[in-house]
Amino acid sequence: MQIKEIYSQVLKEKYYEIDHTSGLKIFVWPKEGYNSTYGIFGTPFGSIYNHFTFNGEEVRVPDGIAHYLEHKLFESEEGDAFSLYASTGANANAYTSFDKTCYLFSCTSNFRRCLEILLGFVSCPYFTAETVLKEQGIIGQEIKMYDDSADWRVMFNALCGMYKNHPVKVDIAGTVESIADITAEKLYTCYNAYYNLHNMALTVVGKVTPEEVLEICDNQLKPCEKVSVDTHFPEEPYEVCKHYVEQKLPVEIPVFNLGFKGDGGRRLSEKEIACNDILLFLLASSVSPMYRELMDKGLINSGFSYEQFEGPGYFSIIFSGESRDPAQVETVIKQYITKLRSEGISEEDFENARKATYGDAVSSLNSVDTIANLTEDFFFSRRNVFAYFDAVAEVTLEDITGQLEKILDTENTTLSVVKGG
Amino acid sequence: MNNIVRREIADGVHFSAVRDNRFKTMRISATAMLPLSRETVSAYALLSQVMTRSCAEYPDFTALSRKLSSLYGASLEAGVRKMGEVLALTFSVSGIDDRYALSGDSISRELSELLCKIIFEPYLEGNAFCGAEVEQERRQLLELVDSELSDKRSYATSRLIELMCDKETFGVRRYGTKETINAVSSSELFAAWESMLRTARFEIMYIGESDPVFAQQVFADKFTSVDRLVSKLNTVTTVTPESVREFSDEMDVSQAKLLLGYRTSVCAPQQETTAMRLMCAILGGSAHSKFFRNVREKQSLCYYCVSRYYRVKGIMTVESGVEFENIEKTKNACIAELEAIRRGDITDDEINFAKLSIANNFVSICDTVSGIQEWYISQLCDGRMLTPSQASEEFNAVTKEQIVAVANKLSLDTVYMLRGK
Repeated sequence: MQIKEIYSQVLKEKYYEIDHTSGLKIFVWPKEGYNSTYGIFGTPFGSIYNHFTFNGEEVRVPDGIAHYLEHKLFESEEGDAFSLYASTGANANAYTSFDKTCYLFSCTSNFRRCLEILLGFVSCPYFTAETVLKEQGIIGQEIKMYDDSADWRVMFNALCGMYKNHPVKVDIAGTVESIADITAEKLYTCYNAYYNLHNMALTVVGKVTPEEVLEICDNQLKPCEKVSVDTHFPEEPYEVCKHYVEQKLPVEIPVFNLGFKGDGGRRLSEKEIACNDILLFLLASSVSPMYRELMDKGLINSGFSYEQFEGPGYFSIIFSGESRDPAQVETVIKQYITKLRSEGISEEDFENARKATYGDAVSSLNSVDTIANLTEDFFFSRRNVFAYFDAVAEVTLEDITGQLEKILDTENTTLSVVKGG
Repeated sequence: MNNIVRREIADGVHFSAVRDNRFKTMRISATAMLPLSRETVSAYALLSQVMTRSCAEYPDFTALSRKLSSLYGASLEAGVRKMGEVLALTFSVSGIDDRYALSGDSISRELSELLCKIIFEPYLEGNAFCGAEVEQERRQLLELVDSELSDKRSYATSRLIELMCDKETFGVRRYGTKETINAVSSSELFAAWESMLRTARFEIMYIGESDPVFAQQVFADKFTSVDRLVSKLNTVTTVTPESVREFSDEMDVSQAKLLLGYRTSVCAPQQETTAMRLMCAILGGSAHSKFFRNVREKQSLCYYCVSRYYRVKGIMTVESGVEFENIEKTKNACIAELEAIRRGDITDDEINFAKLSIANNFVSICDTVSGIQEWYISQLCDGRMLTPSQASEEFNAVTKEQIVAVANKLSLDTVYMLRGK
């Protein structure tokens, strides 16, 4: 078993990276003076993993199965994990995203017991026809809640507009119809394929030492066989599917997503992520001339935001907000992208953007939950947290300018709008 | 949190400091507390937005944003909330701690001064705020009111409270209505600013590693030059409803919302609020609550079903999202859970688990800077200030008899339903 201490001189932060004998990757990030401990156990299995080959057999599973599995894993023969956590006082939860599923707790006492529960229920699936059926009503209501959410709908409509084949366009929870096809057997297949310790990562942050974590893991986790599973993603063209999509919902002010589809062929490096963050700050943050013009023209409000949306097989940059005239927002954003390319970036603007991006990143290391989630996310994306911080401090204006040529293709966009009807 | 130091630095102005070296950021906030009223609410809401957009030294938001980004992406924001029938405007700045600045800048000093300038030296044209700035913020505030409809869950809660308290000040929305926002004149806005400085109760809070003396002095100097006449703050609580009122709205939605509004006849600063908060947690406050276990898990009626206690006003709400045909069934199921508590049908486990969960939340909230600020501000109308461990002790002392007693003080006042068309 290998324990590596990783230290950042600039951030005065350190964590331990451990290759556990069971096959599990473990990160322990002690935070001095903190009263709480946050544990998260994740696997790189999310909503986009709906087609794979496992044990020589090609499998297609219903949309929404990863999320359904997350709900059902909480249940065991003796009851549900929430009732086990109840006597610890811990807050427990789980979430499923496009590319991973994570189970977590936050506690201020009984850490040992909490970690045992977490490792225990995630390692012991228990699905029966009856328990699977029971969940349909609950998840059905979760799906319907999101069907009424303008922000949620506008995002998935944008993804449907951008992606022709990639399953990132499918709602994470699936549909009321697709989840009706989920069976205990299908859940076991997914579990056996993706919930393997060699695939997974455990991160513990806060009031904790690596010794405490290892003692529990040593007791509870047995070495396991590596399994091989091939995930299949369909061929995805570079071009978007549709340039404009619209849905009517009861809203007073239209909401929009403007997605710039990029090349999702390979994962981005820490440096590319850092460059994109700085570029987006330069282009669209509240200091930018573009933001100013959009505001002065009454086209956006302070809810305007932007993000890099990246995962296995997909990459895009999405601007979102509320606007009386989303088409005009699209025009202005594209004008400023063209302008930034032709006029270039000043050294002063670049330094300001770098400072702000750096400050943002440093602030994120305040909270145990942010650190823990970031660590899992970086690990599953094969990236390193400190390397990202170093990149923000080290990238040059030339790097940024070069990156600008690779992203934000103004010809390859989808505007998604939800408005009142 | 044990080392909080609170002192009066001017008439009705308190300055509190928490020295904490765990965080990478520092934060200063000033909360102005004013009587809530239908006539002035929109002026104050608009004022808080205009004030954080510019000041005399940085007369437009691009200049102000540039200043903030040069301070490592520091943030400045205003929040508006109702605490019973008190309107609280919170102005806060946060930024990375001096220790993490790349080039030895003193950020805490600059941010203290900046917050002071925002409050005391707005950008004025004679005795009025700049017209263009006001119109820009007015548009955004109107859009904020409109956007409440986009999230059906919070929209339904606002509707319940508005309808239930239609004859009380508490029924006023925190930004007012579109009509009252449109009616605010430039001179009214200026008068609101003067009135806030003169009559609001102010609570200033400093959280960080650096010495707060500088910040305290800056604010003390400014406030001593104001001729203060502090307003009295109080909340009227209605004890028993005459009869249960039912309201419903129809909208093109997939999921119905069911909300129940109760009068509790227990409100801050009464001691019994502790028992009422515990009762509310047992009923629908966590994954161990009666609602979660019985209404969601056993009956599969919903994805969420929660209860919330507004202790300053003395009301409790129950919220859920359900199938249209399950509205009545869910309503009866929720009422049945409350009836069980009233009869004393609560196990020791249920009580202990709720106590543990509350203590866990209290302790962990103080592991973030914003959590510490929240902990403090949320108690401003309680008439006293407890540390998380003091508060936990009070919860632990509550007996089953006290829980049953407060549950029997509840009376259903209003039922609100959002139905499909």
